Formats: sequence, structure tokens, C-alpha cells
Amino acid sequence: MSSITLEQVSKKYGKINVIQDLDLEFDDGKFTVLVGPSGCGKTTTLRMIAGLEVASGGKIKVGGKDVTHLEPKDRDIAMVFQNYALYGHLTVRRNIGFPLKARKISKSEIAIRVEFIAESLSLTSLLERTPGQLSGGQQQRVAIGRAIIRQPQAFLFDEPLSNLDAKLRLEMRTELLRLQRSLGVTSIFVTHDQEEAMTLSDKVVVMRDGKIAQQGSPTKVYTEPVDTFVAAFIGSPKMNLIAGSVSNGTFRSQIGTFMVDADGFPPGDVILGIRPEDVLLDAGTDGVVDLIELLGPRAIVRVVCGELAVTSVVERFSLANLKEGDHVSLKARSSSLHQFDPETLDRRKPS
Amino acid sequence: MKITQRLGRMASVALLVAAVLAVLGPFLWVILGSFKNERSINDPLAIFFTPTLDNWNAVINGGILQAAGRSLIVATISVSIALLVGGMGAYSIARYKAGGSTMRFGILSAQVLPPAVLVFPFLALAYTLRVNDTLVAVTAAHISLVLPVVTWFLIGFFEAVPKGIEEAAQVDGLGKFAAFRTVVLPQVAPGIGAAAVFGFTLSWNDLFYALILAPGNAQTLPVAIAGFNTFRGVQLGAMCAAILVSVVPVLIASYFIQRRLVRGISGGSLKY
Repeated sequence: MSSITLEQVSKKYGKINVIQDLDLEFDDGKFTVLVGPSGCGKTTTLRMIAGLEVASGGKIKVGGKDVTHLEPKDRDIAMVFQNYALYGHLTVRRNIGFPLKARKISKSEIAIRVEFIAESLSLTSLLERTPGQLSGGQQQRVAIGRAIIRQPQAFLFDEPLSNLDAKLRLEMRTELLRLQRSLGVTSIFVTHDQEEAMTLSDKVVVMRDGKIAQQGSPTKVYTEPVDTFVAAFIGSPKMNLIAGSVSNGTFRSQIGTFMVDADGFPPGDVILGIRPEDVLLDAGTDGVVDLIELLGPRAIVRVVCGELAVTSVVERFSLANLKEGDHVSLKARSSSLHQFDPETLDRRKPS
Repeated sequence: MKITQRLGRMASVALLVAAVLAVLGPFLWVILGSFKNERSINDPLAIFFTPTLDNWNAVINGGILQAAGRSLIVATISVSIALLVGGMGAYSIARYKAGGSTMRFGILSAQVLPPAVLVFPFLALAYTLRVNDTLVAVTAAHISLVLPVVTWFLIGFFEAVPKGIEEAAQVDGLGKFAAFRTVVLPQVAPGIGAAAVFGFTLSWNDLFYALILAPGNAQTLPVAIAGFNTFRGVQLGAMCAAILVSVVPVLIASYFIQRRLVRGISGGSLKY
């Protein structure tokens, strides 16, 4: 089990710089998630670690060993692909045993380990089937079995849950987390789904345009986003970002007036960030309820205030008789507000 | 409703029978014709006749079997080279877009030209290299015929193989070529089988190149069959027998290629 280090790693396609001087550490035994919008470079980064893409510059180390110029087969890592990449002409048994066969492990050893892995993943009854005869979830478990049978130094996951339906995705997410915790293997997970990033990770790395926007624990990234990009990307529904101005501890904008914690913050123009769960609704005239989406225990309420729209997440029991078209006032929990510089879009810190 | 369904079913069966007769009819005529004497063969609808083995004697003693052997050599070598070179070419075009779209469609550009245009350079080259009227000249010409078709045919099959499984095989512990051999080739095995049958048939049935490049001692089977069209008239009975000699090996080769080659590529790569 090993840590993985990227030192000034870059990737170019022709003249286009996809990844720029990336410095990143993946801690030993931890679950790190690379998250970001499409095209941010997260999959390219993962593929460079796997050796499926050649880095244009920098160094990649696995367990302290420089693997930058090694082929994938020599890096002692295992990968689970988005489309599972199972070998359609082989049975489940042979798919799972493939990495051991490739490394010329004995037949008897392969048989024992395949049976053990199949049992732990509830695949025993499916061993003689081919991938075409399996459901999506079963294929996913075979892909995972193929990855873990080798006991590699690290697991790489390239959006492995994105092809599953919503319910199965949640089940497999829990399954993956349980597996990683029990095996304690360094794991790198790529996803565009910030919810997956938050629930699975010991550390979240938010990427944008080939660079790291922010990295840290899920709590840190959620509660202290470094700029408006991270603030809006992490959290669902996304953070409300409202332009206005602050003076004497009061924020004024088109959507209304809030009290803010102004200690150490300069007065003047600001972008205020309010998580939807911190937007409180009451009867009033600030805005009109445009849409209510019921999610079971909660509801997402969209309130339109002139040209702006604000999202609030309300507990079901707090909904009362609220309906679309009602006029409401907006309040915010002052302790949970975020201030961003309107010029740089960076998080403002008290001076 | 029931009567209508019955009538519909009867009409379907009648159409199928007609289609089968249309396809198999000529074949059956050839089989019967190979056992007919000169008189019977002039009556195309004669099913009852006194069979004769004279036509088969003419085939066996007339060098047809030797011509078939030469056709087999040429077709086997042509297809083998075409599969080896064309397979790798198709993979490069499919995976790496080698040559761009120009290459992809350009490899068939020679097929657009009439064979009469292409055969003369071959003939001149054969004379220069002193391989005229030999199987070398015919094989070279057939490779130029079969290779582009096999390559073009296989591109689609290679494109259908997800790149992910090659990458998965590399991560699992195989080098690039081993990954290609172990996981890609089995996936395209049906395509290779089909390309082999197609290429074999193309070479086996070629008359034009073989007639121009090897009309004499090294004549292949189609040339030998055409030789039954003599100044005394067409020896239909013997020609029918020779045609059967031409058809049956192709059927056997198709079976062999489909069953053994495809299974061998797809099932033999990993045994444990």
C-alpha cells in the first residue's frame, strides 16, 4: 500500500496545455476524489497515473518509485473503468483471474483467489457467465473483483458509477466505500458528481482547467470554498451567489437585506454566498415562490426576486402550506455566510 | 382471421420455396449436368436420365484437380498475407486513424479501376522478373486484390472493439502487443473469419488476372474451367463437373474457417 505523488506534472496535446504543473499527493490508504466539470483534466490526470497517457512533463511516483516512464503493467496499480472494460469473450471467472494469469500465477492459486473474491462480491453463482449475460451492477462488481484480486498498491476509479441507475449508484457507492475501508488501499476516484465526491472521500481535489482549484477534506471544501467556482460546484443544490454591498454589518442586494458577520471584512461591494439550507423563508414580499421540488424529507424551493433567483432547501415539516406563487421573505443564518471578492472571485478572509 | 393467417402462412412458405429453388436451382442443375451425357444435357429440365461418369473422367484426367490445387495455393497464400498485413493495417486505421480518412477510403481506390487497366503493369513486371505464367505472378496480383478488401472489411470490426479493454489488459499486466493478441483479436475473430472467407472466394474465383498472367502450365481452376469452352463447342457436362470441383472446396473452406479459425482465435488465447 503506497502513497502516490505528482510533481509538476503536465500534459499537452499539440499546443493545448491540458494539465499544467500539477503538484498533488495521494495519501497512503486514503480515498481521494478528483472532481470537476467536464474537461477539467481529472480523467487525464488519472490516466497519466495509470500510464495510459504519457506525461508531457514532471514526475509521477508510486510508493516512492518513479513510474513516469513505466508501462501500465509495471506500475502495480489496478483500474476500474467507466464502461467496466470487461473481456466479453471470457467468463466472469476468467475475467476476474485475468490479471493473475497475465502475471503467470499458477492455476491453482488463481482458482483459490477467484473463488474468494467472487464470494466476497456475491459473484459465485455468476462465475460461468459471460459479461453480456450480466446486469450493470453485476458487471461493475466483476470489474471491481478484477481490480482487487491482484492486491495492487493503488486503485484507480474512472467514473465507475456513472453508467448505473440512481438507486444502484447509491448501493455501489456504499459498497465501494466499505471495500476501500476494509482493504485500506490508496484509492483515487474520478467523478463529475460532487455528491459522490463528498460522500466517498477522505480528501477532495476540485479541478478546473487543468489546475487544482482546491483540495482538502470534504468538510473543509464545503464550509470554506476558496472561490466562487468551488463554492458553486460543491454542494447540491449549488450555493446562492448574490452580488451586493456590505456596510455596518448589513448586506444589501436585490433580494433583500441580511445581517452579516462583518468583523475584519472590508465594507463595499461583495458577492455573498449562501448555502440553500441557510436560506430561511417566511411570509413577506422579498420574492415569489417559483418552483417547489419535493425530495421526500426535504424540498427545494426556488424563489424569484426580480431578475434574481434564490434556492432554498426546506425540511418537509417546515413547508406548511407553502405553494408556488406565494410571496415570501428571505433571511439567512449570518454565521453561515461566505464573502467573495467581486473582482477576483476569491474568498474574502477577515484581515 | 384464422383463414387469413393460414393463407398468409401458405404464401410465405410458397415464397420461401421459390427463393430456395431460385438459389439452389442452378446448383442442382450443375450437379445433375455433371452426370449427363451430351444428349441429356441439352434437355435442361431432364431429371430422369442415364447417368454417366464420362464427365468426371474428363475432369480427373484433364488436369482440373491439379488446377484446383494451384488455386488453393494461391488463395491460401493471398488470404494469409492479406489477413496478417491487412489486420495490422486495419487496426492502425481504426485505433490511430493512420492516414486519416484519405487512407480509409483510398485503400479501395484500386477496386474502382477496371482490372484490365491494372493487369498490364503486372504482366510487364512478371515478364521482367521472369515469373510470367507462374503462380508467383498470380499470387502477387491476387494479394493486390484481396489485401485492400480485407483491410477495409476489418476496420469496422476493430473499431467496434472498445479501446477500454485494451487499456484494461495493459493495466492488468500485459504489454501492448500481448493485449492486442489476447483481448482484441478474439473480439474480432468473427470478422477475421468472414474476411478470410470473403478474400478466399475473391481469389479462388478470379478468372481475369489468372487468365492473363498464367494462361498456360500454371493455370488456376477458373482458367481451366473456361478451357472447356473449345472450338468444338462448350463441353457442358465436363464443365459442370469442374464447377462442382470449384464450389465444394469453398464450402469446406468456409466451414473450416468459420469453425476452427474463429474458435481458435477466440477460445485458444487463454486456457487455464
